[in-house]
Amino acid sequence: MAVTEITSSRIAAASGNVPGIRLQRGGPARGWRHWLPFYAMLTPGLIFFIIWHYVPIWQVQMAFETVRIIPPNLWVGLKNFQLLFSSPVFYQVILNTLIISGMKLCFVFPVPIVVALLLNEVRGSGLRKWIQSAIYLPHFLSWVVIAGVFIALLSPSDGAVGQIAQALGFHPVNYMTNTGSIRWMLVLSENWRSAGWDSLLYLAAIIAIDPALYDAADIDGANRWQKIRYITLPGIAPTIATLFILNMGMFLSADLDQVINFQNDVNSSTIDIIDTYVYRIGLQTGEYALATSAGLFKAVLGMGLVLIAHFVAKRLTGRGLW
Amino acid sequence: MAEAFSARAAKTPMERIESVLILSTLLLLVVVTVQPLLNLLALSLSDPSKVPGFSGLSVIPDGFSLDVWTLLLQHPYVQRGLFNSIWMTAASVTIGTVGTALMAWPLSRRELPLRRTIFIFVLITIVFEPGIIPDYFLMKQLGLLNNQWSVILYKAINAWYLIILVRFFEEIPEELIESAQLDGASQFRIFWSIVLPLARPALATIALFYLVFHWNEFFRSMIYLNDQSKWPLQVVLRQFVIGGDKVAIVGENAANNNIGIAQIDIRALKAGMILLTILPILAVYPLILRYFTKGTMVGAVKG
Repeated sequence: MAVTEITSSRIAAASGNVPGIRLQRGGPARGWRHWLPFYAMLTPGLIFFIIWHYVPIWQVQMAFETVRIIPPNLWVGLKNFQLLFSSPVFYQVILNTLIISGMKLCFVFPVPIVVALLLNEVRGSGLRKWIQSAIYLPHFLSWVVIAGVFIALLSPSDGAVGQIAQALGFHPVNYMTNTGSIRWMLVLSENWRSAGWDSLLYLAAIIAIDPALYDAADIDGANRWQKIRYITLPGIAPTIATLFILNMGMFLSADLDQVINFQNDVNSSTIDIIDTYVYRIGLQTGEYALATSAGLFKAVLGMGLVLIAHFVAKRLTGRGLW
Repeated sequence: MAEAFSARAAKTPMERIESVLILSTLLLLVVVTVQPLLNLLALSLSDPSKVPGFSGLSVIPDGFSLDVWTLLLQHPYVQRGLFNSIWMTAASVTIGTVGTALMAWPLSRRELPLRRTIFIFVLITIVFEPGIIPDYFLMKQLGLLNNQWSVILYKAINAWYLIILVRFFEEIPEELIESAQLDGASQFRIFWSIVLPLARPALATIALFYLVFHWNEFFRSMIYLNDQSKWPLQVVLRQFVIGGDKVAIVGENAANNNIGIAQIDIRALKAGMILLTILPILAVYPLILRYFTKGTMVGAVKG
């Protein structure tokens, strides 16, 4: 970075000798010749987006068709959707998605806020950095790895959890194959993965709070809890609000990558979500049209939620999704 | 006055207890995060005869042996998986970083005609995701089923990372670009010899984003790659650890005759596989800590 600064200051100094530069800025609009190279740079990327994102969007029409072995497909209107909504499995899948997302909103969303508040109380930046680098790590591991870690951790015979349960006199249960607990394992593993890393944004918001407020509170004799309650929490309230709204926008995505690795024969009905349903009936059973319509249903509702979230966040805090 | 301040600075017993409580909570968090991984490491390094009954709480190997690691690293499936993962990730990172930079630079020019339209064009792909089935048919039409390029090119240009890089590029001082223009440098030359060198930290950030994303990718490899010889490490790991498919790693011959690798306790092999898959992430972890933080802040909310 130092080199950058030297270069820029040198050029700034040089530009003082060239009066033309100032005049050029904000001058008349540049012609198409000027922009041609820029569009050339954009072209490969735009082609990529058209092929990899817009062709699938166009193909969504399959949701209104019957897929035939020999094309063209047959247009059937809303028949696939009627089929979908007459299936009790689909309702169960939607219910599962909502339950899991709801549980995550209640029991995952607040955790990073607490972690950030705790981290902020640690004096001595060396110790704090050390703690941070440890708790950020799981965020960068794949769900395959995390599921592997949890399977080992929860193994009733020799996993850490089972051993602690045994030491306390409980009968160890395999929480991975227990329909009553598997959703909680999703909540726990999500926390294990992201409680540390997600605290980063809150911590940044806390650090941005004017230190003079804390000094004033000290003089008034405020204790730690009073400072948290009356300075820190109000200070990070906009960040909390933004992230909460954006979380709501993702409500229908209960995280396919996570669920698919936590699913097994015993628990699959409890954590079967829209995404796993689409994958199963589409790619495993071959009901392409039905799966596409389920996917489209989720995509449209999801788009609505994300857009609402974006505009609400933007209206309230001036900062949206992008 | 001065005395009053120093009196406040000194902690009351209550405050001291609070500090201890806060610190112990955080240390507990550190233990809960790191212990499961250390346990697996210890398990994979333990003497194979001591593995059955090895406690999930221990972080110290019982005896010491590199058998698990040598067997894993010599195993053709694992070697193949490692090779596939490395080459697929390398290809994705290169294509992704170059493609994103090429697109981000024009988009960071505020007066670019149609800038807003192109942004919306990109943002639509974030907001509306048609799902896996249309995508599957696209791969089929492109002839990329059972082809690693279906995975390598997936989100080759990630819309989120593009937005982050645009924000970075917007910070490049205008004077540098203008003076180069006055010198008669072409736009490509400016991009290559001024923008890219100046944006090196930003490019490193984006490259790391892609690296973590693609290294951890498994879903598309799982559904598109039929041949085991094409699988990246994550899919091998999944087959073995989540699917509990011992044959996937041990091989049919060894499994049936209980020879060689099959004699090692499956728990230790699983532990070793998990750690092997994490290892590259650990290797770049210092860089991740350095660059991800800033990139995430620029990207505002998307972690």
